[in-house]
Amino acid sequence: MALALLLIVAVMWVESGSIAPPTSWQPYGSALFPRILLVVIGSFSLLILVRSLLVKAPERASAKQLVAEWFKSRRTILALFLLFGLYAALLPAVGYIATTISFLVASLALLMGIDTRRKWIINLTLSVTLTLVIFVVFRYGLNVWLP
Amino acid sequence: MTNFFLQALAEVGTPSVMGLIVIGVLFGIIGGSIPGFTVTTAILVVFPFTFAMDPVSGVSLMVGVFVGGYSGGIVSGVMLGIPGTPSSITTVYDGYPMAQRGEPGRALGIGVAASFLGTLISVAVLVFFGPLIASFSMNFRPWEITALIVFALTLVAGLSSGALLKGLMAAALGLLITTVGYDRNSNLRFDFGLPAMGSGFEILPVMIGIFAFSQLLGNIEKLKDESSEAKKIDTNVTIPYGQIIKDMAGQKLNTLRSSLIGSLVGALPGTGGTVANFLSYDQAKKFSKHPEKFGTGTPSGIVASEASNSAVAGGAFVPTLALGIPGDLPMAIMMGVLILHGITPGPMMFEQNPVLVGAIYASLLIGAVVMVLCNLLLVRWFAKISLIPQQILVPVVLMLCAIGAYALNNNLFDIWVLFIFGIIGYLLWKAEVPLTPLILGVVLGDNLERQLFRALELNESWMTFLTRPLSALFLALAVASILFSLYQDRKIQRLKGL
Repeated sequence: MALALLLIVAVMWVESGSIAPPTSWQPYGSALFPRILLVVIGSFSLLILVRSLLVKAPERASAKQLVAEWFKSRRTILALFLLFGLYAALLPAVGYIATTISFLVASLALLMGIDTRRKWIINLTLSVTLTLVIFVVFRYGLNVWLP
Repeated sequence: MTNFFLQALAEVGTPSVMGLIVIGVLFGIIGGSIPGFTVTTAILVVFPFTFAMDPVSGVSLMVGVFVGGYSGGIVSGVMLGIPGTPSSITTVYDGYPMAQRGEPGRALGIGVAASFLGTLISVAVLVFFGPLIASFSMNFRPWEITALIVFALTLVAGLSSGALLKGLMAAALGLLITTVGYDRNSNLRFDFGLPAMGSGFEILPVMIGIFAFSQLLGNIEKLKDESSEAKKIDTNVTIPYGQIIKDMAGQKLNTLRSSLIGSLVGALPGTGGTVANFLSYDQAKKFSKHPEKFGTGTPSGIVASEASNSAVAGGAFVPTLALGIPGDLPMAIMMGVLILHGITPGPMMFEQNPVLVGAIYASLLIGAVVMVLCNLLLVRWFAKISLIPQQILVPVVLMLCAIGAYALNNNLFDIWVLFIFGIIGYLLWKAEVPLTPLILGVVLGDNLERQLFRALELNESWMTFLTRPLSALFLALAVASILFSLYQDRKIQRLKGL
């Protein structure tokens, strides 16, 4: 984490160079505040990194094994993120009703399973009812137009 | 005072607003009673519905959720032995044994009555101290406000989870997020060539993303660790009213002490219901003539726990309304909602929007009454609802979060903001970075930068922050809070080493 943050800090520090300089009536420019924060985040990240290196690391499996294990144990979470990303991407093209029903059916199937007829019925009933109720409440009750 | 309160009461007393408070309280109780859902998630789910409302209606609905949410933890705590929210952990200590002893109705009744009294006492604290603090802080200039925000952030970072370095880093990260887009001088910052980034990130999708994803996906991860399915419980509960009145009559001091602890802890940034809960439970035990009964199903334990966590609601409004500094996560979101409705919490709010301040007081009072009625009348239903599995809740709440983010500006970019910050929030949570300081940084970032630069434009010297007594005091307190956290960390490390 500390390494990733240090990388982000470096990129943003370079990017902060393109912020307009202060005008004659400004004592400090628009880059000052983010640069102070970047220094703070960078310093703390560095400290966290040093501290993690000082702590004696237990015997570990290879990096490849660790990554494989990480993905295996978080398959469901990764799949949920993927489904949400797809939902965000398809929403403008396909529209609220079809995309939301699909998202709910897929994610409920992922988490609840679809091994029994009862689960299928719960899944479909919940997905369709909830999508339509939300649509009606937002469009007709709150005058908010969903895509 | 009386005038604006009566005016506010007239606005809140309309059937539509009253209906919204009832809906809010019901939703809050349901949210609080489902383990893993929490008050904060309930508030996040409801907030999109306030977009199209006027400020009084929107705020009343949210206050309803707030009041209901803090009391909702009783149901799952008593019936399942699982705290519905982190702020009702100690309710389980005595509520669950009492229910197992065959008195679930008595445990729930005591909890509801204590919650009600706790809320009422905290409203009194808010009514009394809110305007006092606001009028005192009217003298604050940019130097004092800057120093106060720095103090609040260091306090929250230090207290959030014992990981001081990570907490401070998270607060700075939150502040950095607010620097994206055009600043007050119309200079573009960190847009990386993307036009959508020019207007910066909306606070609410960022907050929802960071909090909701980490919370919900964390719940899914926990499910794998918990092998047991939700326990079958008997939801046919009856409340023994006579017994509850008798129990509460013997708990006057305990109720008052616990409510005051809750109100005070709620008013401190970075603490919240969980701290209040443990502190008042501990104090109740110390003051009790029968400390050995605590943890076995004594009414004193339930009263201490529920009066304090409900009193947090009113207490937490004090710094939010009077200073514009939210003390905890639910309050940070409440502040986001107020900002969304064009109201900036802070000392001026009492002068510029007295009716709205009065509406918050009135909603808290009405919400407390509605909470008691709902809990007593519908307790069987809440007990049933508390069994809704996370596998159903998580996709539904994620969908509602996405729709909420979109409905904010009818802008699909906000869903992507939610998604990206959801990933960031989840990864930070996995790295054990406390998220409360991060979210507080996001809420306070704009104000901190504005006040800092106003101070520097008035006087270029940074030393002014140290030469003005109040600003120096706040900065000294910030340093002290960091040193105290370091001392606490060392102490914990030493104890672990033994």
